[in-house]
Amino acid sequence: MSVALYTNRHGRRISTDDAGAAVLAVALALLPTVLPGYAVYVLPQYMLFGVLAMSLSLLWGRVGILSFGQAAFFALGGYVMGIIMKGAWPINPGYVGLVSAVVLAAVLAAVVGWFLFSAGVTDAYFVIVTLAFSIIAEQIAVGESQWTGGWNGFFVTRMRLTVGSLLDISFDDDVPAYYAVLLITGLTYVLLRTIVRSRFGKILVGIRENEPRMISLGVNTALYKTAAFAVSGAVAALAGAIYGMHSGFVSPSLGGVLFSTEVVVWVAVAGRGSQLAALIGGVVISSLSNFLSSVTPQYWQLCIGLVFIGSIVSFRGGVAGAIDHLLRRGGRERS
Amino acid sequence: MTPVLGVLVDLTLITLVLALAATGLAVIFGLIGVINMGHGAFLTLGAYLTWAATSAGLAFPVAVIAAALGVALVGLLLEHILIRHFYDEPSETLLLTWGIFLVVTELIKIIFGADFRNVTNPLPGTLAVAGLDIPAYRFTVAVFTLILLGGLGFVLFRTSFGLRIRGLIQQKESAALLGLNVGLLYKQIFVLGAALAGLAGALISPMLSIDPYIGNVFLVRSFFVVTLGGLGQILGGTLIGSFVIGGSETLFALVTDQVFAQTVVFALAIVLLRFRPTGLLGSKAR
Repeated sequence: MSVALYTNRHGRRISTDDAGAAVLAVALALLPTVLPGYAVYVLPQYMLFGVLAMSLSLLWGRVGILSFGQAAFFALGGYVMGIIMKGAWPINPGYVGLVSAVVLAAVLAAVVGWFLFSAGVTDAYFVIVTLAFSIIAEQIAVGESQWTGGWNGFFVTRMRLTVGSLLDISFDDDVPAYYAVLLITGLTYVLLRTIVRSRFGKILVGIRENEPRMISLGVNTALYKTAAFAVSGAVAALAGAIYGMHSGFVSPSLGGVLFSTEVVVWVAVAGRGSQLAALIGGVVISSLSNFLSSVTPQYWQLCIGLVFIGSIVSFRGGVAGAIDHLLRRGGRERS
Repeated sequence: MTPVLGVLVDLTLITLVLALAATGLAVIFGLIGVINMGHGAFLTLGAYLTWAATSAGLAFPVAVIAAALGVALVGLLLEHILIRHFYDEPSETLLLTWGIFLVVTELIKIIFGADFRNVTNPLPGTLAVAGLDIPAYRFTVAVFTLILLGGLGFVLFRTSFGLRIRGLIQQKESAALLGLNVGLLYKQIFVLGAALAGLAGALISPMLSIDPYIGNVFLVRSFFVVTLGGLGQILGGTLIGSFVIGGSETLFALVTDQVFAQTVVFALAIVLLRFRPTGLLGSKAR
């Protein structure tokens, strides 16, 4: 498949990606000194969309499994966080919420993933199941209104960072919240890159390229696919949990088919082969989308759809794939 | 006795409407292996074209035919420009048809607006049978669905066009070597599937309020119908799949709310398919 283009050049790709990520991190860290208040408020939410996009890129780019259910995990994270923040806890509810959201999503993804992958369901069928996930998530959010507030959703308060009585930082102000989200985004990137470069990550690529061969080499591919799905679900839920707190609000649309579709579009257009591309794609396209939907609400979604089709037809590695292609050609001409 | 009979009639009507909605998908998915994620948008487009045509003063049957032909034309254009280049790559056609879904849905929103639309029910009365009031229009659509499936069966198993299709499914390379125009046949099947989706959307339109996303729910249900029935089992499979999905949803909706019923049915479909991955009829996959 398309992503096979990259396999020969892993070494160089990794270094350019990580260098780019480092530059991006420094730039993002400096931004609050020059940007107006609104940008400092809203940018972290786009970064969290970027984290969501990275969760899909692990699954789709590495293992070759497309999921239309990432938004379901994102919403799960947001709702679990919100519900826990409402309760009274002996310890910091923020910690309980974050851990529960991530663990719950990982367990759910692992159970469903193992249930399906161990039976050897086809990729196409898995896509449909994840699509059903999104519909179910949205319907539960709408239907179980005693927990979820129904159509209206509910407000979520931001957590505090506490270490015993030594430290107590509030994130009600946008600047500390900005740096907290930036840090989490960076850590998630490092975590996912570490996974991708590990033996585990290489086996995932092996499954993508030739699953029967991996099976005959003695790899339990269902287990690896399940693990990838669980990690991907957990990362999506983490992003959702923090997004819920940061935006102060969760609603059923977070889990819906439309939002899941947007995630797929970000990753497809930016390039499914690279974590950095997914991150940038999530941030850039979602912020563009927000900006342009206020300028041309009617035509923006249409443009996104056309760009999506264009990216599949003409440059299947997405923008990152196209840039890579250009760089490679440039390199050949020089040498 | 009457309540039980009433449920049975409901079940039959819902099964057949769902079968109607899924047939277009079953044809494209089952015969040429393309996972048409645009199916839902084709249904929606059929419903909107019907609304436009009846609003312009056309009689309902004419509007239905116009809608089916309109969607067939859209399907033909899309197949010719995009899809035919990607038949060898199922994962790419899946993405491509999803992109088509996005674009068609947005065009529908731009052209028709995002408000709810209603198509006047052409047969508003009820039929009194054995003490039951059966909605005349739903009954007519159910009978039409049976005729349609019968007609498809006739085309597939009794005509030379059907013979060519079956030859293509069994041995694509041999069929091509024997002089079959594979590209043309793929195109005809895709357009047929699109027309069937448009027809279904048109016929379903008087039963509900139309909005740009009505096809969405039908898309996922149709997929479960088709995969439960088994790929390539277009006739019996579609009916059995519709019966399991639509029937169980009706039954669950009796004891719990609609939302929960649908969740249970989706979960049930996922579980059933895990244990019978080739469908309930156990056909061999393409």
